[in-house]
Amino acid sequence: MSAATNRGTLLVGVAIALSLALVGIYLAAGGSSYAPAQIQDPCEDRPWRDPEGLDELAEQFSFSALDGAACELGVSRETLARALATPESRERFTERYGIDDAELARAIRAGLVRAVDDAERAGALPPFVAGPLRETVRQIPLDQAIELIDDTRTLIDELQNFFGPAQGLLEQFLP
Amino acid sequence: MSAPRPRLAALAAAVGLVLADSSIVVLALPDIYRELDTSVAGVTWVLVSFNLVMALAAVPAAHLARRIGPGRAAAVGLAVFAGAGLACGLAAELSTLIAARCVQALGGAVAVTAVLELLPATTGSERRAVAVWAAAGATGAALGPAVGGMLTELVSWQSIFLIQAPLAIAAGVPVLAVARHEAATGIVASELRRTGNPHLLANLALALVSAAIAAALFLLVLLLIEGWRLTPIGAAVVVSAMPLAALLGARLGPEWGDSRARAAAGAILVAGGLGGLALLPSASVVLTLPPQLLVGIGLALVLSALTETALAGRASQAIHGGWTIASRHAGVAVGLIALTPLFTADIAEQRRDAIDAGTAVVLDSRVDPLLKLELSQRIDDRLEGERGRVPTISPAFEPLPTDPEDRAEVLQLRDELQDQLDRGATHAFSPSFGLGALLALLALVPIGLARRVEL
Repeated sequence: MSAATNRGTLLVGVAIALSLALVGIYLAAGGSSYAPAQIQDPCEDRPWRDPEGLDELAEQFSFSALDGAACELGVSRETLARALATPESRERFTERYGIDDAELARAIRAGLVRAVDDAERAGALPPFVAGPLRETVRQIPLDQAIELIDDTRTLIDELQNFFGPAQGLLEQFLP
Repeated sequence: MSAPRPRLAALAAAVGLVLADSSIVVLALPDIYRELDTSVAGVTWVLVSFNLVMALAAVPAAHLARRIGPGRAAAVGLAVFAGAGLACGLAAELSTLIAARCVQALGGAVAVTAVLELLPATTGSERRAVAVWAAAGATGAALGPAVGGMLTELVSWQSIFLIQAPLAIAAGVPVLAVARHEAATGIVASELRRTGNPHLLANLALALVSAAIAAALFLLVLLLIEGWRLTPIGAAVVVSAMPLAALLGARLGPEWGDSRARAAAGAILVAGGLGGLALLPSASVVLTLPPQLLVGIGLALVLSALTETALAGRASQAIHGGWTIASRHAGVAVGLIALTPLFTADIAEQRRDAIDAGTAVVLDSRVDPLLKLELSQRIDDRLEGERGRVPTISPAFEPLPTDPEDRAEVLQLRDELQDQLDRGATHAFSPSFGLGALLALLALVPIGLARRVEL
């Protein structure tokens, strides 16, 4: 073998070694898993954190409602949360996904029912409160649901209004 | 006629100027994309059109140069290139810009192939002429993005094209003397003798490697500017690592092995570098440097080895030089056409995933519920304002809460959300870089097959 051939073989060997070393080091450093975190499927149950107070309970209730509505609509909880932030973002959302206000309101109603179920399962609502509340949200008129989703602040405010008068009663049952 | 040294410099500058155009606009694409209100796929055609027309026109242009005389052909080619450059710089619409780029490529193809016919008379030998021609082309292509990035940020994207007109005319001045001589004497520098067949395997390997290199350059620039939000100058500094490494690779001449070994080693290094870019473990500029080093050394090795092989012992130089130009630019164009849809689909999906992951971080945080809603609203407004790009998210968190505890919490949220966006942007490029690596590895097939033939 000539010296040039030997050097050629060496050059190819060095190229292979350098390439494999780079790819190996980057793989070992987590290169194959450097991607956005996976978000949870809204149709799956999300465990409730221990509520620290009524604000916390209202927030978890509204997130459960978001999960339920997002599951109905086939979008993520996060997409729906951004969509419901303002009337303008809601309009963009309904246009993008081809959903009308009535469908959105129905989904929100289903989400509220799921939130009551989740709250009861988590022990955050006693059954004698959960039952009538479930019936109430099932009957909530579409226009009222639309009003709620016009501004999610209203949803939280409404929930706080609901939980506020019942505070004394609920505190006996809250974990 | 002008003295040999300035004339040699002018001819080399003409080749460098034209071939720089296949990549000079890369760093300006994000600005063009925004200013001309187009899409990623649309703006890619500013690059694709030039490379496609160069690929289609290079061989016919070489025949034209031999027919009318290389001096006249080079002068006409440079004049067309300069005029079309002005039209590019003045274009107010994407369609006008793309049309002017096509004309620019036509002029460039004629000039570059004609210069290869003119060079032997200046260098004294065909071998040295090929070396100068190949080196000038490689230098131009390698320096293009950095120069384009600087001009875009310091002046404007239009200046990239406008500045080319006087440069092309200056490079054409020494050529005019040859053209006048040809016109006066009726002498055409090269005889119209029959040309041999092009070296198919070397040209095929050139096309595959060029597609991979286009992926490396184009995608890395987009990642830096659109994904990681670097300025064009910042990105220009970062991607300068590739031409600097190419200068290192250019020192590995024939004494380091025959052309087959150098071509194979170069293709492997390009594939390894692209593999590294496909597996970046974080959104860090520093981590792009080792892959760029490999790609830079690899491209210098493989392009020079394959060009030498394609031209060795073949007449005429212009025609076979035209075939190498056609192969390289066809590779770049096909690479861009193949990778763009994959890349644009990935970035849309990853952007959505990253934004959802970031919103989940905000929703699951322990900040005040009403502040969460306000942040969700501001994030949504930022997304709408960025028209599908990966957004800079920090303005959505301004003004920061005054309470120190809330402020710390919100700052942490901002960093976590930005991390998710960086992950999404980086991950979106992985499949395209991976495909580029595969194309470089595929080039090993023609390189290997040529073993028994001649390479």
